Amino acid sequence: MYSLSNKQIDYILDDIRARGIEMQSLQGDLLDHICCIIEHNLEENGDFESFYNKTITSFYKKELREIEEETISLLTFKHYYQMKKLMIISGGFSVAAFIGGSFFKIMHWPGASMLLLLAILTASLIFLPLMFILKVREESSTRDKIVTGLGTVFGIISSLGTLFKIMHWPYANIMMFAGLAAFMLLFIPVYFFTGIRNPETKVNVIVSSVIYVLVGGLMFSLIDLRNHETEHKMKMYAFMKNENLLHNMQANSTDSTSQSVAFEAINKVSEDLKGLILENGTGVKNIPQDFEAKDLIMQEGQIGAFFVDNSAASQLLTDLNAKIAQYNATQNGASKIDMEHSVLSLAPYELRNYSNYFILNNISQLQFQLVNAQKSLVAAK
Amino acid sequence: MYKILMYLCVIIKIHIMIYTTELIKGTLKTIVLKQLADNSRMYGYEITQKVKELTFDKIQITEGALYPTLHALEEDGLVTTEVEYIGKRVRKYYRLSPTGKTKTEEKISEIADFIETLRFLLDIKPVVS
Repeated sequence: MYSLSNKQIDYILDDIRARGIEMQSLQGDLLDHICCIIEHNLEENGDFESFYNKTITSFYKKELREIEEETISLLTFKHYYQMKKLMIISGGFSVAAFIGGSFFKIMHWPGASMLLLLAILTASLIFLPLMFILKVREESSTRDKIVTGLGTVFGIISSLGTLFKIMHWPYANIMMFAGLAAFMLLFIPVYFFTGIRNPETKVNVIVSSVIYVLVGGLMFSLIDLRNHETEHKMKMYAFMKNENLLHNMQANSTDSTSQSVAFEAINKVSEDLKGLILENGTGVKNIPQDFEAKDLIMQEGQIGAFFVDNSAASQLLTDLNAKIAQYNATQNGASKIDMEHSVLSLAPYELRNYSNYFILNNISQLQFQLVNAQKSLVAAK
Repeated sequence: MYKILMYLCVIIKIHIMIYTTELIKGTLKTIVLKQLADNSRMYGYEITQKVKELTFDKIQITEGALYPTLHALEEDGLVTTEVEYIGKRVRKYYRLSPTGKTKTEEKISEIADFIETLRFLLDIKPVVS
């Protein structure tokens, strides 16, 4: 029976570590195991080093690290079957929610966007990650692992980008663009150039690559790369010209009617509301005349959840509605203000699809009507 | 004479046959659990030697299969561990937990049933002793 020295034990432990075994408990297990084998099988004056090297190589097929990898994979995939089940259930659920949501959308039934939201969330946050984890385990070559990983990343980013777009959340366009770029510039080249080398899969890879490029190309053709700067500038100028015209007309109308207090209140609320929308778009409430020089140009875009999230704005909108309704109740004929088919006839959440410029102009239009009504009141006097 | 030699070869070959890892894989957990059930506490090397001895070298558990399995059993709560210092090195003993004991019985009866099914399915004649 061979007796191991402390130095030799340290040597074995260092070697186990150097061969990539990082789990401490596994290091201990293997160290004791090797020591036992040496103690039981090596003669007292045997050659430690060569016997050790022969023993350690019998532990693995390619590398000693296999043991640790197998341990980790056994520990991680304890829930393999549950994960697989969850993947199938979440996949089935998101497909059902997509089909249901689309049908609801066509029928204009309530709950359509809720179903689509759930479908995208389950697909991108549960199904795709699980699919990646389970698939990577089955994939033996690094090439397939990389392709699967890239595909998953592309899938998650683009579906979340779409979700952000629908929900009017920020960075939606960047996400969709990044997802598409990852798909076109990374996924397809890696897939194509690694797959084409294998004669067995060559034809399949070529056909699939063509289809991927078609899909990516179609999506890319939908992306708007135009520069909208001039359009935004023109819209800002149109709005400011309207504003100046309105203020001119307001200044010229004699303010001596019995309704002057009501007019003033309505105008005040309107200006406050416009101020909030402008602040949301440019950061400034009162736009100066030299707005172009100061780079205060509002980008045109859907107002989104602004009137739902911003309680001050929704309060002002309610106030405006109430004040005009109150004024209208005392009037008849030409001095009434037409609230139909304006922002006042829509609920805050219904406004989300209207552009910020549309809403601003609509409020100004109400104020124009007010000037007109004032005129007719003075004339009637 | 030649025929007898052939038979002899076949018999010897069968006798020294070492089962492939694929065959052992599905039953390794149960084999390890059974050893622990019979010997209260054991360490890794001891388990491999015991199994080797009991099966006349036919089942040789590799280190690459044994330790991942032991760690998985520990994670599942079927075995508990205790460490003992032997000079500079640590020896880890594995012991069945109460849940491990019931699980062992379950696993063994499952395998017994499986063997019966295989016997029928593969049409294996019972060995007459």
